[in-house]
Amino acid sequence: MFFHIVLERNMQLHPRYFGRNLRDNLVSKLMKDVEGTCSGRHGFVVAVTGIENIGKGLIRDGTGFVTFPVKYQCVVFRPFKGEILEAVVTMVNKMGFFAEAGPVQIFVSNHLIPDDMEFQSGDIPNYTTSDGSVKIQKDSEVRLKIIGTRVDATEIFCIGTIKDDFLGVINDPTTV
Amino acid sequence: MTDHYNKLVKLAARAFYDDLPAKSENQPKTGRSDNRGIAVVILDALTRRQWVREEDLAKDLKLHTKQLRRTLRFFEEEKIIAREYRRETAKGAKIYSAAVAATADGQTTKEGEEKVKLHTHSYCCLDYAQIYDVVRYRLHRMKHKLKDELENKNTIQEYICPDCGKRYNALDALRLISFEDEDFHCENCNGKLEIESDKLAAQEGGDGDDNARRRRREKLKDMLQKMEIQLKPLVDQLSRVKDLPVPEFGTLQSWEALASAAGRAANGDNAGDSRNSHLGYNGAPMPYSGDTKVVVDFNGTEGKGEGIKSETDGKPVKVLPPWMIRSGMVLTEEQRGEVKQETKMDGTSTSSTAQYTEDKKSKVEHDNNTNIQDEYIKAYYAALLKQQHELAEAAKKEELSNSQTADDPSSSISIRQVGMKTKREEDDDGTEWEDAPIGGNGNGNGSYKAVDLNVEADEAAADDDDEDIDWEEG
Ligand SMILES: [Zn+2]
Repeated sequence: MFFHIVLERNMQLHPRYFGRNLRDNLVSKLMKDVEGTCSGRHGFVVAVTGIENIGKGLIRDGTGFVTFPVKYQCVVFRPFKGEILEAVVTMVNKMGFFAEAGPVQIFVSNHLIPDDMEFQSGDIPNYTTSDGSVKIQKDSEVRLKIIGTRVDATEIFCIGTIKDDFLGVINDPTTV
Repeated sequence: MTDHYNKLVKLAARAFYDDLPAKSENQPKTGRSDNRGIAVVILDALTRRQWVREEDLAKDLKLHTKQLRRTLRFFEEEKIIAREYRRETAKGAKIYSAAVAATADGQTTKEGEEKVKLHTHSYCCLDYAQIYDVVRYRLHRMKHKLKDELENKNTIQEYICPDCGKRYNALDALRLISFEDEDFHCENCNGKLEIESDKLAAQEGGDGDDNARRRRREKLKDMLQKMEIQLKPLVDQLSRVKDLPVPEFGTLQSWEALASAAGRAANGDNAGDSRNSHLGYNGAPMPYSGDTKVVVDFNGTEGKGEGIKSETDGKPVKVLPPWMIRSGMVLTEEQRGEVKQETKMDGTSTSSTAQYTEDKKSKVEHDNNTNIQDEYIKAYYAALLKQQHELAEAAKKEELSNSQTADDPSSSISIRQVGMKTKREEDDDGTEWEDAPIGGNGNGNGSYKAVDLNVEADEAAADDDDEDIDWEEG
């Protein structure tokens, strides 16, 4: 699920960036620093959308670096148990398959793949129905439901299922 | 068709809400607080009604209102009943009563049942269309959940290292992939992990032994089977109801309008009809709105366009319907200066508090209704005459203002409302004569209230008597 929230961060800026463009430098450094990171609490920071407030800089003793407290708005993505996501398959093996929904990695174990889909090893490992009409392989797009998350301080990993109504392949790369 | 739906409701009630209060109450049960099954009783009662005022329902079921409300709130959350709230005076209550009377399901409230104050009333009604969906959805979810567990869906796959015995689960998957082959490998010994087979519902029992798992599985199967058997009647009823049109009562407002219209049509012109009709829904004047007319006349300030006076005067003395009598009495009392006494004591609108009222009460009790009626009428006419006299002589501005305020509400035909307003003014003014008459309305209010409490019907009569006595004194 996406959220638009305000976060705060203390930015350290090297004195060489001081000058007319200090603010711009600060903002671009902020984006470089936080976009794409993940915190267990807020999820993945997808994009910084605005600066709320930049506090007074504090010069650090001995270094000349200045610390600015920056409040910024950003879009974060946080997966939840029970959430339905659309994801792209990245890897298929006999244990199941891995998929990505944006920054989130999801593993679907083979017992959460419908029973009528069998693992086929080979050049392109895949899960296929007996009549061959549905196939899951690398780059397939699937709709899945998250049934568990593992949230660490800097990492979120999910496991999902496609063994339910309206879940499964939504776009087969071989037919496109 | 409604029968089928009602049966559905009853079955669902017994299947799902049988143990309802037990769930919500934390405190240990004493014999008295054991309310098991109350939900079923309430739902059954609702199948015999359409829109019902919750207080009335509580009274009918001999339940405490709070208790009823708690259950109803739960049903509301369950989406099986619709509720409506509105702040209303006696008028609103009357509209509802009229509508109820029109539905003719034996729930008729007493005539003259009215309210003193502006109260928030809540009404409830079964929402059959939604019940149908809710029950189906519930069944679906129940089945789904059991099947999921049975098929080990939504459980987290476990893996075990055959070499060192270390266990992993699917959440570790990312760490376990090795990029040499596509298998999962043990972090310790790099052995190939194997799927923990037959890992049924292991998550719940920890690493529960196989026996526990098997037992659990048996239990689930058993539950699923039992469910199918025990809920069969409900499922059958659902399919029976499937193609039937759903009973719709609409919103409270539209239902009232419909019901009272139907009632009027059915009743023709008899007295009962007139009683209902003056409850006109939007406050649009109804043909028989005798109450309103009387009020206007009394105030005298407003146009008598309605011909109230003539109507009342012209009538030969005969037994008036009770509602008429009441309004008449109110008027006379108002006219009278006697109200002054009442005002003093009157802080409360219900005159019953006044000691002199009590005297009257005793008297009243002796009287029979018929006698009372006759007396009322006589007193009423006498009072009317006197009133006119007084009005002619002393047309005070205050009176005017009073009457005007009184008249404004008349647009909505609510006597009670008028009474309330005037009463307040009266309080402000203190002991003034003309104001005092309005106090009569206050009495009227009191009687409404009493009547409203059904139980105290006698008291209401007593109030009437009070008024009666006043006239006699006058
Ligand atoms: Zn190992």
